[in-house]
Amino acid sequence: MKTLRLDRWASQLQPPRNPRLYLLAQRCPFSTRESTPRRHELQRRQHQIQTRWQPKRRDGTSRRQASSAAAVAEDEVEYEESPKPNFPTHKHATRSTKLSALHARLSLPTKLPLQTLARCLIDPSVDPRPGYNNAPLAILGQELLGYYTSEHIICHYPRLPMPVLFAAQYAYVGPPTLAAMRTEWGVEHVAAPGPEVDPGLLQLKRMEAGNAMAEDGTQFVKDLPAARRLGSGRRNDQFNYRRGYSSRIVYDDQFGDLHTGLKTLDDLPPFTGAPQAEASEGSEDLSTFTPQDHPVTMDTDPVTVEAASAGFVRALTGAVYLHAGTAAAKAFHRAHVLSRHLKLHELFHFTHPTRDLSRLCAREEFEPPVARLISETGRLSGTPVFVVGVFSGDDKLGEGAGVSLNEARVRAAAAALRSWYLYSPREEDIVVPSDVEGESKKKWKPQMIDMGEIVT
Amino acid sequence: MPLQALRTIAKPQNGVGAFILQCKRLDFHYCDWAGSSRGMNDFIKNQLPAFARQNPSIEISVSPRPGRHPVVIGHYMNGRIKPICVRKLDQLQILNKVSLLKEASGEKLKRVTKPVKSVNESVRGVWSPFHGKEMYKV
Repeated sequence: MKTLRLDRWASQLQPPRNPRLYLLAQRCPFSTRESTPRRHELQRRQHQIQTRWQPKRRDGTSRRQASSAAAVAEDEVEYEESPKPNFPTHKHATRSTKLSALHARLSLPTKLPLQTLARCLIDPSVDPRPGYNNAPLAILGQELLGYYTSEHIICHYPRLPMPVLFAAQYAYVGPPTLAAMRTEWGVEHVAAPGPEVDPGLLQLKRMEAGNAMAEDGTQFVKDLPAARRLGSGRRNDQFNYRRGYSSRIVYDDQFGDLHTGLKTLDDLPPFTGAPQAEASEGSEDLSTFTPQDHPVTMDTDPVTVEAASAGFVRALTGAVYLHAGTAAAKAFHRAHVLSRHLKLHELFHFTHPTRDLSRLCAREEFEPPVARLISETGRLSGTPVFVVGVFSGDDKLGEGAGVSLNEARVRAAAAALRSWYLYSPREEDIVVPSDVEGESKKKWKPQMIDMGEIVT
Repeated sequence: MPLQALRTIAKPQNGVGAFILQCKRLDFHYCDWAGSSRGMNDFIKNQLPAFARQNPSIEISVSPRPGRHPVVIGHYMNGRIKPICVRKLDQLQILNKVSLLKEASGEKLKRVTKPVKSVNESVRGVWSPFHGKEMYKV
């Protein structure tokens, strides 16, 4: 771990992978590499911005000379330096009892400082600058949580069908579960963010409830025309696109849901160094885009408490990984995610179990399934019970009880399918890929890969 | 589509992986003048620092409430609070009350009739009249 360099790993310090995320050029407040820009540096930068922009701005405003006063006001807003943070600074973090209690309560590694824990609690809706909020950590944490959970599910239940796999993933690390985890950890959220609140509270700008009355007093907030969900702008987001499971695997997130909150290409600012064409200029030399030209806007969209809580838990996972390494992150995941109880067999919802079972038997070259009555009572009464077994040759595949022969047969077929899908290898044969990463002593054993669910 | 899946939330099992103490905060209120707070003042001076050191996961706040009886208030993960008035108690009695608050789950007190609770289904299953060697006869 001695070669781990935080300032290299934290994504906001690297050149952005997605060049459109120009905000990533902002600096991390806890970076050890360099202190925050000094005042004269800020002034120099501001001077640069102004001298670069003034001639162009005049050209730009020549079209709308009638509203020159408005243009001047707009200029002043744009030249304002980076705004003051709307959350408690990291200097307050070491003095917060809530934070240190949370650190002890979760038995976090001592390598994880309170300042980072405080930063995990700052949602992007409070401050959109990635150097200040938990978004970069949350991205890392989301990938880690998804990876560790999915490898656990797939290696333990190799025959699980894709819809159930998505549902299991959602049950373990979906946003509602992570939000529940936040309350189980005793982390409260602020009513409104501000620099004076305790840094041990989840800082978010809270979204108004959808069933609150809108300002006009005649309709709900959720019914307003602007309350549409922001899609990713991809083809699979369109209304006439059939989202099959292959499409979900390729396009969608780890739960098979559409990516929400992604900005379309039109909304995002251009990447650093992109040539900019001014419609009014008409000159040959194109100016290039630099992030300083567009100051950060603090006018962010509010979020739900659930989304912000999920972001906090993800960011904390990412922070544990960055500060304490893979083993600590895996231990954290095992202690808080895999220790939860999920009844996998209750996630199945069959529509035609008897048909699926006969397809399965045909595929696996078993004898075709036959339903036989095992026992019955009260056939002529108001409450009959039939126990039906599904047999393939002499092997009983499943058994079910029902009030009619047909219901019992369907239940038996569903039970047989469940026991097929929920097959699990022996515990000593299971080695998840992350177990053998790095300097681990464990030896890799090839894991079973099933040929897949039954397609009808 | 042959199969659909239902979405649920995996249930927490405190103590299976991580154990999280359900008491998240203890408030201590005292009065400098009144005699009913004498034990409380001794407790804050003598016992509380060690208690706080032993229980780093509990947030502890001490605040004066002049002219009132001393109170210890426990705040719990489920959102409930438990206040205990400790007037005229000495410091060791208060320490007992505080450890009671620390160990409480925050739920209302209930009589436990079945000592074992489990999220797992019974391995043996519910008794069925249709299985077994001999059919059940009334």
